[in-house]
Amino acid sequence: MPVWQSIYEELKSENFEIISVAQDTGGEEAAGHFYDDANVTYTALIDVNHQISSLYNLVNVPSGVWVDEGGKIMRINEGTYAKTHFDGAWGTDDYVPIVRDWVAKGADSEYVWDRTKVRESIIQRTPEAERAQPAFRLGGYYFTGGNDEKAEQYWTMAQELDPTSWNYLRQDLQYEDGGSAGPEWSKRRAEIESAGGSYYAPLEIDN
Amino acid sequence: MNRKTSIAGIAAAMLISGVLNAQSATVLYNDRVVELEQTLPDATDLWVKPEDLTRVNDFVLKPEGACLDALCVPVLQDRDSAMFVTRQGQAWFNVTELADKLQQAYVTDYNDGVWSFGTMPVTRQSFLRGGEAPDFELMGRDGEPVRLSDFRGKKVLLLTWASW
Repeated sequence: MPVWQSIYEELKSENFEIISVAQDTGGEEAAGHFYDDANVTYTALIDVNHQISSLYNLVNVPSGVWVDEGGKIMRINEGTYAKTHFDGAWGTDDYVPIVRDWVAKGADSEYVWDRTKVRESIIQRTPEAERAQPAFRLGGYYFTGGNDEKAEQYWTMAQELDPTSWNYLRQDLQYEDGGSAGPEWSKRRAEIESAGGSYYAPLEIDN
Repeated sequence: MNRKTSIAGIAAAMLISGVLNAQSATVLYNDRVVELEQTLPDATDLWVKPEDLTRVNDFVLKPEGACLDALCVPVLQDRDSAMFVTRQGQAWFNVTELADKLQQAYVTDYNDGVWSFGTMPVTRQSFLRGGEAPDFELMGRDGEPVRLSDFRGKKVLLLTWASW
């Protein structure tokens, strides 16, 4: 987050905005202090119902979307770390330079995707996955109201309806033994990776 | 008044409140939580008063149908149908039937009368096919709403993250 703040300081005068959205059922209490600690001045939001992931068909965090001046998507659905974490275990520092290039060159940047590539990069949801989002929303309603039993019921339903969503899984695990990056998460990640899949949508820097 | 009348009055009040309780519902859509005092009892579908339809999902019932901006789903209103009925002079609109027509997913807790609706695919073709960024509105930390469309004319890097 301090890294994004420094990038924002560098680029904000070039008609550029960062909108950062925490996908956090725990709300201000869970996410707010991260913004405060980094003294962020970009647009910092907390999205208790994971509305942005629902609208943009995203299944993991962090994820990035480029939106141009006219509201068109230029890139979408990428695991967007600002720097390398944990000795390279997570993320890379390849993303920030391409953001700089886009801000400087706009549509002429070689990192801007064409319409077809954007369309193909949007995750298509099955009818079951479409139902996962109102199920997750319902679980959040009960969580907020203190009904943990029903929260668990509908969060489990959401995970069953959309097993591709890391957000649904990890938000739920946050409130269970082991936490959001505990053994259950590691097991699921290993299953996907051993099958040749990728936990994060891969960054495609070379067009 | 005499005792008989007051007991009848209490009984009537209990009946009415009982009916109201049986018909109340809660609707979740995006970040909104809409409490409906009265819905038409139905085992599987959610029927609301036309004025509540707009509170629930922004659709407005017009002579030509249920409309959201340029999109209008035809609804006959001079006779009963799967989408619209009149009972004792009160019109009722079937929100779940509309959702089915729009391929909008929903999940219901029938015991508590809570209906949770997902995004509307028919309103999302410009995103899914055209790559237009869906607009959104989230309450800012200062209590002021923030929309993506507030930033038209700027390049926006939209980033999701989580504390967990």
